[in-house]
Order: sequence, then structure tokens, then C-alpha cells
Amino acid sequence: MKYTLERIIQGEDEVIVRYQTMTPEIQRICNFLDNGQKKIIGNAEDRQVILERNQILYIESVDGRTYAYTEEEVLRLEQTLSQLELLLQEINFFRCSKSMIMNIDKVKALKSLSSNRIDATMCNGEHILISRTYASDFRKRLKGDGTL
Amino acid sequence: MKKKVTGWEKYLTEEIGIEFKACLYFFAILFFYSVYRVACGSLEASIIHMTEMIFLTYAMGYVQVYFLSNFDEGDKLGIREWLYLTGCSLVYGAVSYLGNWFDKNIWVSLGYVLFMMFTYVCAFWVYKMKRNIDERILNEDLKAFQERRNLTDESDRDS
Repeated sequence: MKYTLERIIQGEDEVIVRYQTMTPEIQRICNFLDNGQKKIIGNAEDRQVILERNQILYIESVDGRTYAYTEEEVLRLEQTLSQLELLLQEINFFRCSKSMIMNIDKVKALKSLSSNRIDATMCNGEHILISRTYASDFRKRLKGDGTL
Repeated sequence: MKKKVTGWEKYLTEEIGIEFKACLYFFAILFFYSVYRVACGSLEASIIHMTEMIFLTYAMGYVQVYFLSNFDEGDKLGIREWLYLTGCSLVYGAVSYLGNWFDKNIWVSLGYVLFMMFTYVCAFWVYKMKRNIDERILNEDLKAFQERRNLTDESDRDS
């Protein structure tokens, strides 16, 4: 397979794959490009980490800074919570409070609390409180009625 | 863009909860009061007493929710909750005695205090059962959600 690189002065970066038959090699290229869209860059103390979305347990905004929590570590993100809410427009990411977005796929169990609140136990044992303001939408999302 | 819940809506949600609580306890008090009146050979009830009852339950609702951690909807009946429960029941008893609901009969008033304690315990268990059922439904919905997600991911990988 040959490839051509064309540098442009203006306009959006774009990858065009021209093929006659979808071969495993071309499929791997497409998968790589697809997966690239799902990654988020996180900052640890001394390095940058490329995060897969399915690694994120929850994202929290603290003192104006945004942090992504995985099972292994906590990474600082460049985006704000509002920007991440738009970026993570997927059914499994849910804004569960003013300062937090949780990954529903990483919830191990739910507990109903008084005053219509919900306690979510994540797969790493941490607890996230979903306040009554967000609990109603959370129930709808679980039932498949939630809008993004 | 989702509409944010306003302060007014938050207050209203809390207010509706308190009014529901007031009605619940008012009907419990009315039941005890009615049984007492019938036992005394009377088929009449005082509107003044009933007015006092509803205002008292409304005020106690505010106290319970804002100052006593809404103990009747709590997760457990620990020492603190029992203290709150007993304190509130004694307040009900004191008002009933001062308001002459039970003709200043000290034994009936004490019986009424015990009745209110029993009512609080029943309310606690009813709320707890409701939450247990809700929890079961939540976890079933969570499991179904995650299974739907797994099926979607698998079909995305296959396609």
C-alpha cells in the first residue's frame, strides 16, 4: 500500500482512506483513527497520559481544576467540566452533580438514600453521591429515557 | 441545554415533603384522638384541637427536616434517632396536655406519647422498605443498562 502526505496551509486536518476492498490492514488503520477520537490527554506529575474513555471512573472539578479518576491514578485534565460534558456526549457519562461527571459503566452498585438521593459505589469501592437534583435524570438514563 | 433547577423549585420540593409529613402525622394523631373521643362516649371532635394538631405537625415537620436530620427517613434508628424520636413525641405529648386534647388526663397523654413513638417507628420502617424496593429497582436498571452497553459495544466491534 502506498501513502501520500499532503501539507495544507489552512483548513481542518483530515484523513482520507481510499480502498477497493476493506482489508484487515485498512481496518486496523480505521480502528486506530476511531480510537484516537475517544482518547483524552491527562497530566500526571511528570508525564502525560493518553486516557481511554472506558478507563475513567469519574471526573471531578476541584478549585477550578478538573481531574479524571481511574482505577490506578488521578490525572489533571486541561478541559473544564462543561467542555468535558460536551466532549463525553455518550450515554454512559452522566453529570451527577455540579462538580462531577460519572461513568455509569463503572458503577458496581446503587443504594437508595433518604430525600431521593442515590449513593453509587464505583468498581474501586469509592462512593459517589447523586443529589436529588440529578437523581431523577439518572433514573431516566438507566431506563434508557435519558437525553444527552 | 437542560434547564437548571431553580432555588424556588428546590424550596418547593422540600416544602412538599414537609407537608406530606405533616399530613401523615396529623392523620395518626387524629386517629388516636378519635378513638379517645369515642371511648369517652362522644362522637364529636373539636375543630380548635384539629387546627392545633395540623399546625403542630407542620411545625414539627420543619423541625424534623431542618434541625433533626429528617430522622424518620434515615438509614438507621441509632441512639441519636431514638433521642430525636422521643423528644418529638414528648413535644406532641406536652402540646396535647396543654391544649386539653385529652381532658388533661395524664395517663392518656402518656399513652399518646407512646403512640407517637410507635408512629415514628412505623414511618421509619415504611420509608426504609420503600427505599429497599427502590434500591432493588435501581440495581436491576443498572444491570440492564450495563448489559445493553455491552451488547452495543460488541456489535460495534463486529461491524
